[in-house]
Amino acid sequence: MAYPTATLDVIGLWVGWFLMLMIYSYPLYKENVSYRFAEHLFIGITLAITAITNFSNIMRMCITPLMQGQILMIVPLILGLMIFTMLIPEYRWVSRYPIALMVGAGFGLGIRGTIKPNLQDAIIDTITAPTGGGLIDWFNYLWVAVGLVCSILYFMLTFEHSGALKTPTRIGRLFLMIALGGYFGNTVLFRFTMLTGRAQFFLQVLKLIPM
Amino acid sequence: MSLAKLADIDRRVFYWILFIALMVPFLSPIGFPITLSPNTQDLYDGVTGDEVEEGEVWILNFGYGVSAWSECHPSVTVCTKALFREGAKIIITGTHYDVELTYNKLQDTCRADFDNKVYGVDYVFLGYMTGGESVVAQLGSDIASVYPQDHFGTPYDEIPMLEGIVDNADIAGVLSSDTGDYGGHFMTQWQSAYGTKLAEIGIAMNASTDLPRWQAGNFFGVSVGSRGGAELEQLIGELGEATTAMDSISVSHLLLILAIIVGNIGVITEKLGGNK
Repeated sequence: MAYPTATLDVIGLWVGWFLMLMIYSYPLYKENVSYRFAEHLFIGITLAITAITNFSNIMRMCITPLMQGQILMIVPLILGLMIFTMLIPEYRWVSRYPIALMVGAGFGLGIRGTIKPNLQDAIIDTITAPTGGGLIDWFNYLWVAVGLVCSILYFMLTFEHSGALKTPTRIGRLFLMIALGGYFGNTVLFRFTMLTGRAQFFLQVLKLIPM
Repeated sequence: MSLAKLADIDRRVFYWILFIALMVPFLSPIGFPITLSPNTQDLYDGVTGDEVEEGEVWILNFGYGVSAWSECHPSVTVCTKALFREGAKIIITGTHYDVELTYNKLQDTCRADFDNKVYGVDYVFLGYMTGGESVVAQLGSDIASVYPQDHFGTPYDEIPMLEGIVDNADIAGVLSSDTGDYGGHFMTQWQSAYGTKLAEIGIAMNASTDLPRWQAGNFFGVSVGSRGGAELEQLIGELGEATTAMDSISVSHLLLILAIIVGNIGVITEKLGGNK
């Protein structure tokens, strides 16, 4: 990708650059007018894009086929319109029917494919002992096994976490804390990568590095 | 200065150091080594060589927006190049509303490969679809019902490449790239239901969800964030934006570790009475 040459593209690039600085003025300095302006602009534009994209989607998937004679498309259209009745208090009950349909269908679809990959495959993978590999594979296998059992015990709230359950549940809590730390670390990593992307953009617009 | 003051450093100081430090590796690359992860290797192996037959159709789903370009796009670029070079055809779909921008970006980052391909014959851009897991399930049973036409308004049955492409059985594999869990939706509605080959190009934040799925065999490969992108760039032999960014990302991680150490020294000193 080369540095744009068309005037409008260059203007777009610089507008993006300034808006980025305006947003970053909040963490780098403090809340201020330019940050607020950029924030509101961002929210407004995002909402506009979302509205247009969804409107186009409804036109493409429902209205156009309906106009072309696919009369059954009237059903999702009516169901969709029924959801808007939640804005009128006395007719709010009407919106419950399409929502119930959505929840039911979603739940059914979710169940269809969830058990095998999310439970069966995951459990089999966890309890299957390594067939080859070295000491580290066995260590990992046992480490995961202990972590799994202790973490499950931690959530077993039928019995008080004392006596024989005291140590394993404490170990379970430790594993959960490590897991949450891992999650948090991954989240931070992702945000920093985004920041890296912005730092790269900052330099690219200034032509300090190639685009 | 008491060490306890380290616990009270203004966060803006850290942000400034971070923002400036992130730029330095771009201006003066350090060249931290990048090792290959088995999950990335599996992903690359799955989209190259004997795993891909000429003429077979793959789905590439964009479930990420502009903000996650730095995380997902390098891997998507490499996989697109690899599939095109193996002679595969690609159906591009999108579950993020700014999918068009990502599609344009892909054409930029894979320009040479797209130049050798014909729209509608070798690849097609179907555009945005909404509806979460339901629409992914519907896509598996009848693609044309989700996309009666492509992104540019051409009816489905008038696109040469889509002739005979009806449902999941006509799709050789799916590459899901997302910031959410569309990979999970494809897993439950395609991989689990029909046995379709599936790989995930995810953000680092989702690594702890994606990697167990790869270990369990649900994903044939996983690319984790920019790091995965840099590994794939090494594998295909064309270094790109992810490799360039890796130095900067590594510096950010080192700074974070340093900040944690400094902050903890401050807190521990404070607890030990160092602030008195």
